[in-house]
Amino acid sequence: MLGFVLRRLLAAIPTLLAVLTLVFVIVRVVPGDPALVILGDQATPEATAAVRERLGLDRPLLVQYFDFLGSALQGDFGNSLVTNRPILSEVRAVLPHTVDLTLASMVIGVAIGVPVGIWAALNRNGVIDVMARLLSLIGLSFPVFVSGVFLLLAFGLHWRLFPVIGSADLNDPLDRLHKLVLPAMTLGLLMAAYITRVTRSAMLQSLGEDYMRTARAKGVPRRRVVWVHGLRNAALPIVTVVGLYVGILLGNSVLTEIVFNRPGLGKIIVGALNQRDYPMLQGLLVIYCFLIVIVNLITDLLYGVIDPRVKAA
Amino acid sequence: MIRRFGFKAAILAAALAFSTPVFAQPLPILRVGMAAQDVGRLDPHFAVSTIDRVVVAWMFNGLVRFKPGSIDPAEIEPDLAQSWERSDDGLTWTFHLRPNVAFHGNYGMVTADDVVFSLKKSSTAATSAFAADFAAFETIEAVDPMTVRIKLRNPVPSLLGILTNYAGGYIVSRRAVEERGAGFVRSPIGTGPFMLDHVTPNQSAELVAHEGYFRGKPLLGGISYRFIPSDASRDLAFQAGELDVNYGRADQTWVNRTRQLPNVTVDVFEPGELTELSLNITRPPFNDIRVRQALAHAVNRAEFVRWRGADVSREGQSVVPRGYLGFINDPGLLPHDINRAKALLAEAGYPNGLTIRVIHTQLPEMLSGMQVLQQQLRRAGITLDLNIVEHATFHQQIRQDLSPMVYYSAARFPVADIFLTQFFHSRSIVQTPTAVTNFSHCDKADAQIDGARVATDLVEQRRLWAEAQRIIVREVCAVPVIETLLVFGRRNNVDYGYELNGSMSLGPLITEKTRLR
Repeated sequence: MLGFVLRRLLAAIPTLLAVLTLVFVIVRVVPGDPALVILGDQATPEATAAVRERLGLDRPLLVQYFDFLGSALQGDFGNSLVTNRPILSEVRAVLPHTVDLTLASMVIGVAIGVPVGIWAALNRNGVIDVMARLLSLIGLSFPVFVSGVFLLLAFGLHWRLFPVIGSADLNDPLDRLHKLVLPAMTLGLLMAAYITRVTRSAMLQSLGEDYMRTARAKGVPRRRVVWVHGLRNAALPIVTVVGLYVGILLGNSVLTEIVFNRPGLGKIIVGALNQRDYPMLQGLLVIYCFLIVIVNLITDLLYGVIDPRVKAA
Repeated sequence: MIRRFGFKAAILAAALAFSTPVFAQPLPILRVGMAAQDVGRLDPHFAVSTIDRVVVAWMFNGLVRFKPGSIDPAEIEPDLAQSWERSDDGLTWTFHLRPNVAFHGNYGMVTADDVVFSLKKSSTAATSAFAADFAAFETIEAVDPMTVRIKLRNPVPSLLGILTNYAGGYIVSRRAVEERGAGFVRSPIGTGPFMLDHVTPNQSAELVAHEGYFRGKPLLGGISYRFIPSDASRDLAFQAGELDVNYGRADQTWVNRTRQLPNVTVDVFEPGELTELSLNITRPPFNDIRVRQALAHAVNRAEFVRWRGADVSREGQSVVPRGYLGFINDPGLLPHDINRAKALLAEAGYPNGLTIRVIHTQLPEMLSGMQVLQQQLRRAGITLDLNIVEHATFHQQIRQDLSPMVYYSAARFPVADIFLTQFFHSRSIVQTPTAVTNFSHCDKADAQIDGARVATDLVEQRRLWAEAQRIIVREVCAVPVIETLLVFGRRNNVDYGYELNGSMSLGPLITEKTRLR
């Protein structure tokens, strides 16, 4: 197992180096001058040049690149052009909120999606199956800025069970949970819709396999046939989808963060892009990529647990 | 023993009862919702976005200030300076500072040294976004610890305007800037009624009352300035009572809907942001004045106001916003006349109309305005082929002179000189070393703008500004379209402590007198 993990981590190094380079190039290819953003619309070329010099943006690109690369490899992504605070501390401030939302959404998505998907597969073309497919279609069709606002209207404004806005106090677990419920429901239901469909499809395939028929013929109880033989073999595509989705959620939950006014990685990525905060954008994208690598690694490890043939290969 | 213990307990209880302090009720916190993702730079000399301007106005003072609730330069009053005098030629100004004005925290009292440092910082391009405003400053010196003298190279239309509680006029603590260095952008020290406690990124800036504020202790305990980019969420939070003041959309539907909420007042106030179409008069097709006139005839200002809403907007009347010192309401704008527009186009060699490729921003409020314009011009046979780009890209590309027509909205210090200089003086033409925002390449009124700036006679100054506006309109360097006012909602228990008719900080000024009833 350790060798497997090490091999995967070593394979991630060239990926991260490529990302560092790509991020540096992409950030500078995007039009828009950070100095102009800082100085506003009355900026003169003289003032813009002075600010560019102060920020070190007037140095040759290669110098900037090696400077960035050297610092990044030491874990130093520099300071934000906007706040002048270290990027890592900005990320540390919001990362717990992102992790909370991602994990809670994943739990809701899996807790609803997997059983419903199995149930639908077991009742193929029956009422339950049709209902599950219909509801998952509705779930997938609602963008989060619509479903989120609906939830806010119902639970925030009408019943007043949850606040419409408000950042959670990270030191207060109850407050943290209270303010997590609606955003996690918004994303979790969307994820559940997707997982339901994948689980149903994987289970249908699994249920039609010979080993399932054999198990039933041997008199294995139905519950065991479904949950042990069926689900274990259907689990690979489900884990793949969940892994992919978690990766997407880490950076792309920006709409949910905006609707519920939560801090998060997605929101600061968008902010850094709008402000042309190069160091922040670079740092965030590298950290984001690192998180994706970790999620993929965990997914790969789970493959090995679910299907020992993967580990052997 | 028991009796002795009981006696002691009774004495102790009585002592406790008499010694228990009567705890004062904590002062309330004002919760303000703002349409923004995060606050940017809180160094007032870099506060260029609306979100930053609003909050620095609560934390800083200038030598002089606009009367709260007003943007009328005639109502500028003492702030950190208690008096001032000017030389007869208007080139030397001496300011006498108010004594015992405390900076936030333990940064001591304001001295002439802080004022000199602040104004020099403001006038330096590397340390201020407003350095260009101070171009006429020759020297800034401390005469004594409470007196500051400013010498100008040439007279400026409103020196007091430059020194107000707006843009580069804010006074900062020299020691704080030097101690905190680049970190000052997020840990500013001023003299205002509120001081920064902390910023939670992407969430809020928390301000606490400055108890040593020189005008008296604020009636609020603090301000929670919350960044809520989603209009829907912000409105819901306001409706749910989670906000006391809410940034509003300059849109009649929003105003009507918000006015229907119980115990809510909608404030609509100055300065109006003027939207103009700058036409590059040096390149085809707008190097032909007939095409520019055709476009001016095709614009329907009344329809723009109907679309935006009569309570929150008004027709642009000149190339300078209404109410600015030097504004005239009869510069000779061409009336809306589609037939005349078509005839002029035909005369200019475009009988079948023409297509113009224009760069524009994806910022929703500006994009929707451009789409209205697109429909209006289509009726006259002018097709706008919009190249929609992200907002920062828009600002960069229009400054690279890549768009023959620029749809631009702006508010400036309310004196005609600023607008005329930045948008219509040849010095400000984009892609030149001294460029600002002259996208039209207009140089037709340079003499009048320069003449007005150094005129010592106010009547002559106004005459020159009026003439400049007439020339620019006659030459159709730009077409004024609409002025959009600022809109904020507030719960009725919020008393600003003054009547809100205007605010140069683009948001309600929260003063020591602001309270929650």
